[in-house]
Amino acid sequence: MADIPVGTPLAAPLPRQRTLLVGTVFGTAASLMYFAALLAVYLRERSDALTGGGEWIPSSANIQLAPPTVAAWTMLMSVVTMQWAVYSIARDDRTHAIMATSLTTLFGLSVVVTTSFQYTEMGLVADESIAAVLIYTISASHLAMIAIGLVFLLLMAFRALAGQYSSRQTDGFVAASIYWYAVVFVYVVIWTAIFVLK
Amino acid sequence: MTLTETRPETEAVAAGDDSRPATQSSAPQWTPPTGLAGVLSTGDHRVIGRLYIVFSLLLSGVALTLGMLIGIEQADIDGGFGVFGQANEVFQVFGLYRTTLILCGLVPLFLGLATAVIPNQLGASSVAFPRAAAAAFWTWLVGAIAHIAATFSYGGLGSLQAEVARGQSVELTVLSLGMIGLSLLVGSGVIFTTLVTQRSAGMDLLQMPAFSWSMLVATGVWLFSLPVLLANLVISWVDMRGADALGFGGGDAPFGMVAWAFDAPQVYAWTIPLLGIAAEVFTAAHRSSPKLFEPMAFIVGAFGLLSFGAWAQSFFDSGDPLATDAHIVTNEVVFTAFALAIALVVLAYGGWLAFNAYSAGQRPQITPQFVLVIVSGALLTAAVVAGVLRVAEPALGVLREADGDIWRGFFDAMDDLEGSSLVTGIMNFAVLGGLLAAVAGLFHWAPRLLGRPLNAPLGFLSVLPLAGGAILIGATDALGGFFDQPAQPYSAGNPPYGPGHFDEIDALGFVEALNVIGLIGYIAVLGGLALVALNVARSLTGTSMAEANQGEEA
Repeated sequence: MADIPVGTPLAAPLPRQRTLLVGTVFGTAASLMYFAALLAVYLRERSDALTGGGEWIPSSANIQLAPPTVAAWTMLMSVVTMQWAVYSIARDDRTHAIMATSLTTLFGLSVVVTTSFQYTEMGLVADESIAAVLIYTISASHLAMIAIGLVFLLLMAFRALAGQYSSRQTDGFVAASIYWYAVVFVYVVIWTAIFVLK
Repeated sequence: MTLTETRPETEAVAAGDDSRPATQSSAPQWTPPTGLAGVLSTGDHRVIGRLYIVFSLLLSGVALTLGMLIGIEQADIDGGFGVFGQANEVFQVFGLYRTTLILCGLVPLFLGLATAVIPNQLGASSVAFPRAAAAAFWTWLVGAIAHIAATFSYGGLGSLQAEVARGQSVELTVLSLGMIGLSLLVGSGVIFTTLVTQRSAGMDLLQMPAFSWSMLVATGVWLFSLPVLLANLVISWVDMRGADALGFGGGDAPFGMVAWAFDAPQVYAWTIPLLGIAAEVFTAAHRSSPKLFEPMAFIVGAFGLLSFGAWAQSFFDSGDPLATDAHIVTNEVVFTAFALAIALVVLAYGGWLAFNAYSAGQRPQITPQFVLVIVSGALLTAAVVAGVLRVAEPALGVLREADGDIWRGFFDAMDDLEGSSLVTGIMNFAVLGGLLAAVAGLFHWAPRLLGRPLNAPLGFLSVLPLAGGAILIGATDALGGFFDQPAQPYSAGNPPYGPGHFDEIDALGFVEALNVIGLIGYIAVLGGLALVALNVARSLTGTSMAEANQGEEA
């Protein structure tokens, strides 16, 4: 075997595979496409109803803008805490990473509570109109998306507690953050398309 | 440890790790389950791939049997019911044929091939998420069984006659189809992630084999298609949950909501891996490697882009109170342009194959897989040509505007092809072409997949009925469309079984004769698939190549 001279630089390490990141991006893109399809149907049906001179949301329903606006701001705040978690784990600050993840989880839970409250208040009966069918389908699908995001966040928090993630390996947190940003983005679109436009 | 990782014991076994201290050997050790328990809990990508292949071939057989039953029914169009008791049963089987053939047969067959073959092509030890791959397979299988069972329990994707449909069975049909779609999405995600992250060091995307590249394109397109299918199904299901369905869950609306998935251009998207398999088999038969890989990769990518069809949902046309011809998806410029462009792409792909044959400089080795990919390519070409004929009338409408008298005879033949059985012909050409390509892949990779090659004489014997039958099925459907045979014999807007219901069909006797020929095609393809299954079973139960080599060495 030939001698290797002292001082020869080591071969560059192989690039990390980032399997979890790519898998999460795939799942996130699929989720976005799912909501794009739902919202396309919603806007198409709304356009048809209004063009035909009819009403879209039944007059008996009382859809207030305040609860979804509060939820939208809560979601936007969770973007900050989520990024805080990624920032912290990248600097080996596990305590702040877990704290930030917990705060993000709390924000997510509060949106679930706000949406549930709105369900009880808005008086929209699913049997009565196509608008109700679509609003419940879209908002409940988003609740499911939040639930998946919360499980993802908790999993990453527990893994961080066990010492798995650090500045050398942040993939789990980055993957969770990508999914969470998609959750927030979808809510902002729902807020605009359904609650602001009505 | 999460779902995303390979089990330690799987890795240890795969690595042949027997370096544990001898002191531990006396302690009770966990051993991987064998037999049925081993199959049920496996994370081995080869086993999962084989399971996909076996069950998707089986379900393809079920789908073709359904097609055969419809063929028997249509052999005597105006003679009442031959096989089915009522219009609703025809409608149920009409929908089930499509969902089973594509989502329980073709797509999982491609996924099975990919799961088994792609790690080897990339130099990886396994797929990216082996447990997710296993979960996707079992979910798909349960969903497929539930879907078929629910349809035959007075379910189906909606109903024509509410009094004979069972609401809960219809709901279960919709939910099980959602389960199938979700599992295929997860399976696609596994393959996509494997292709992006598990390649050997130094292998870039354009250095992957053609099949791997085509699966990357296919899973990318499926990523954007399957969630839309799921969204349609969820809307239908939520609407059904109410006391009265309002627009998406009643009547035959659930089928209408997902009909785009079984129509052009989306139907081409399910067949994208055909292009990769054809490239590999074709060049292997010429004993050469693919030349001009980058243009081929571009062609496959363009085919994928043009085959994305989730936007072409004509179901929503009817809801537009101001609908005019310009609002009908199938008459739109984009729809027409896509149909014309994809034909050019397929033509370019044929040119690439011809160039490779020419530059190889020798005659191809005639194998069953070579014949199958040639026929599958011809079927795909027939599908896109039929697609061009379908849009020819709106595409060339400008000529009619210019001088209607001269072009009248030409347009009369092209009129009213929309909604005719030409649409079914396009689907059958494309999907059966994909099925034949998948079988060709099975022959091509059998030594890796099954441990020994498939029997060549038996393979040639299966090629004839497979190829001939597929051509007969597609051609008779397509030709029937020119005589105004409807794609969907009975629909909510087309009251069933009234006297003179089929009066609009030109040359009824001729169309019935075509349907009899199509029926023979279904029987032939079923026979061919049975021979392939026999060949696979013979290979799986025989001595593997490794064992045979060991025996020879001894």
